[in-house]
Amino acid sequence: MAGFLQQVIVGLGTGAIYASLALALVLIYRFTGIVNFAQGELAMFSAYVAWQFTAVGVPFWLALVLALVVSFAGGMLIERVIIRPVEGAPELTVVIVTVGLFIFVNAAAGWIWTFLIKDFPNPFPGGALEMGGLSVGFGTLGVFAVVGIVMGLLYLLFQHTKIGLGMRAVSTNPESARLVGIRVGWTLALGWGLAATVGAVSGVLVAPLLFLEPNMMGGVLIYAFAAATLGGFDSPVGAVVGGLVVGVAETLAGAYVTAIGPDLKVGVPLAIILGVLLLRPQGLFGRAVVERA
Amino acid sequence: MSESTQVSDRTTTREQAPVRPGATKWRWAAAAALLAAAVYAPFQLVPFHVFQLTMVLIYAVALLGLNLLVGHAGQISLGHGAFFAVGAYTAAILLDRWDAPYPLTLPVAALVAFVLGLAFGVPAMRLRGLYLALVTLAIAIFLVPLLKRFEEVTGGSMGLSLAKPAPPAWTGLAEDQWLYFLALAVTVAAFLLAASLLRSRVGRALHAIRDNEAAAEVMGVRPAYYKTLAFAWSAMFAGIAGCVYTWVIGFVSPDSFVVNLSITLLAGLVVGGLGSLSGPVLGALFVMFVPSISQDINEAAPGVIFGLLIIAVMYVAPTGLAGLAGRATNSIKKTLRKG
Amino acid sequence: MSELAVHDLHAGYGGAQVLHGVSLTVAEGEICAILGPNGAGKTTLLRALSGMVKGRGSVKLDGAELLGRPPDALARLGVAHVPEGRGTFMPLTVEENLRLGAYVRRSGVEDDLERIYTYFPALKPRLKQAAGSLSGGEQQMLALGRALMLRPRLLLLDEPSLGLAPLITRELFHIVRTINEQERTTVVVVEQNAHLALGVAQQAHVLETGRIVLSGTAADIRADEQVAQSYLGYRV
Repeated sequence: MAGFLQQVIVGLGTGAIYASLALALVLIYRFTGIVNFAQGELAMFSAYVAWQFTAVGVPFWLALVLALVVSFAGGMLIERVIIRPVEGAPELTVVIVTVGLFIFVNAAAGWIWTFLIKDFPNPFPGGALEMGGLSVGFGTLGVFAVVGIVMGLLYLLFQHTKIGLGMRAVSTNPESARLVGIRVGWTLALGWGLAATVGAVSGVLVAPLLFLEPNMMGGVLIYAFAAATLGGFDSPVGAVVGGLVVGVAETLAGAYVTAIGPDLKVGVPLAIILGVLLLRPQGLFGRAVVERA
Repeated sequence: MSESTQVSDRTTTREQAPVRPGATKWRWAAAAALLAAAVYAPFQLVPFHVFQLTMVLIYAVALLGLNLLVGHAGQISLGHGAFFAVGAYTAAILLDRWDAPYPLTLPVAALVAFVLGLAFGVPAMRLRGLYLALVTLAIAIFLVPLLKRFEEVTGGSMGLSLAKPAPPAWTGLAEDQWLYFLALAVTVAAFLLAASLLRSRVGRALHAIRDNEAAAEVMGVRPAYYKTLAFAWSAMFAGIAGCVYTWVIGFVSPDSFVVNLSITLLAGLVVGGLGSLSGPVLGALFVMFVPSISQDINEAAPGVIFGLLIIAVMYVAPTGLAGLAGRATNSIKKTLRKG
Repeated sequence: MSELAVHDLHAGYGGAQVLHGVSLTVAEGEICAILGPNGAGKTTLLRALSGMVKGRGSVKLDGAELLGRPPDALARLGVAHVPEGRGTFMPLTVEENLRLGAYVRRSGVEDDLERIYTYFPALKPRLKQAAGSLSGGEQQMLALGRALMLRPRLLLLDEPSLGLAPLITRELFHIVRTINEQERTTVVVVEQNAHLALGVAQQAHVLETGRIVLSGTAADIRADEQVAQSYLGYRV
């Protein structure tokens, strides 16, 4: 039993990371109806930016803040320059553009920092908190704390600031938002900046666990997609819950189902995506999807 | 809002211009010339270049399938490398375990890929195209560890090594030339099959769905049915390409079919041109030669070039190189007529 | 509070021209009704005035050119548009919808919220409710309230009576009149229900296939036989 709970804790730890990337995906989807296939690569790039700052001697936490700022600006820039021309275009066009962005960002990171793996400093101390026969790594606790803080800040932003209200208005009715005087274009860019920042957090959390290299987020992205699909693509709360569920499901499947084992764990997100699509396409927390004509 | 309608027009109306009789004649002449050049080429090139051209043909078949789905049905797959791999492994396992005669591997590989495409297409196609992208991406990622797991059949991480089809003595061809002609025959057959599919009722239904799904539904076209069918076919073409790949390379391993292959295929198709028959050929040339040429600059150069090109193509020429070429010839013809 | 002068306005969507040279003026603090059959271009006229569709010609509010500016810039200039379908932010609460109306303003928002509740007491108990859960009439009141939160110089109303019961519609128009009198807001209202519109408006224009075919005071228009037959449903 203790072993089982231990696995659940490990699963929640990885799940929190999936949740943070899923949250970034959901933010952009809510604002623009776009599923950003490049989200993981942007997170990877952000992690490199943070690494670069630490490599030139900036203390870790300051490097993190700088990387978040760079990510925010980068996200806004990408929206203005790359996404804006295809806004409102058919989904196919937009998906292909984000796939192009995926390939480009991946290769650009390889070009700048090479494809050799880099050691990313772990911001959290080693060791673990022992209680009742269970051990919770300080790293896991740190991940929880960071993801919790990000969620809390997003909640404050959306529910208690004017700009957050404006962002929600844009995501529900852009035309009407424009009529009350909101600069919709800038708000969308802001949404991308915000998503890139949230994604950057997940990149920085993943990097010390997986080693930093350009293909680092490829595996994480599919879990984040499963999390977002499970939670409902338009629900931030769903993204977080979905992330945790996917993390736990993956860990338990890898540990207890011998037919799956650690090597086939990556089938879990595929099963979850297919299962959700068949049984409840809008996800656990999402609004039912109304097909646009 | 006006912006959006403008952009959507760009991607939905491709290659819809009525074909003038003269243009058809030109098209046949161009195809015949291309075929003649293709038959002549292996006798003039060194074996390595013949091999590269063989790979171009294989990619062209895979892209042809992907084009059915993306260009003609308006759906997206980020996992076509998986169906390519399924075809390759089906052929490899048939050859390895049962010593099957290699011509037999082609229909079996096609069938297996088709059935798998159908199986995954049914759930994914009921929903928006976006989910198909997700599901196919997940399939492509999942396939690699799956192949490694069933080691006794697939050879695990080591893969399977196989004898390549030997040229019959009467042909007098070298091995690379024989493989090239096998690939060429399959490619030509695949193109004829795709062309006749697109001319059929089904092709028209697919275009109707791509251009306006709601309207198509009103006219009695069942989108889910046709999209699933398109997905299965496109998987089948990828499987055929994979089978020929096994013949030509004589070796399969999971790491040849990582998710990058799928993404590269999509990139090649977009750059080559969505929705046209020449797009897959141009795309295949791209997939083959852009990496081998630009790799000298930097390991990452092919990715940077592909990434930027895809985005640029979606902005300025959603019909890709093929569309640009078409536009260029049209404007040349116009100038000629005026002059 | 402001004078609107439209001169030779052409507008449309893509290649299709809808308005072919519309000219009209609305004096400060007046209500102007735009009447006409479906497809005459009434909605397009309002959309051109609020920057939602591009137009050629001239639209001046107190002498400042409005054409060529995006809707959000016009909102900052004091143009409030209650669009077709009311433009409600459905998942947001009633209060959030109202606050969004004052998005471009910095001070006095709390006072204005109170003012809106005096006009529309029905909204007050529903402040924390999702706007989408309101009835049609309440949503129309909310839309009007949202527009007033801008403290508009020019208020554009598109078919406020659409889909509402006659009693509610009458109440709504009564409120529009009150607001116009108390705040001296210039109002342009597009309406199918000519009776009601002429009841509150000082002047009216009849729009047919993108051109103004008849203009006058509300009383003149009401007396016009043609209008009476086409839009009022009775003979004079």
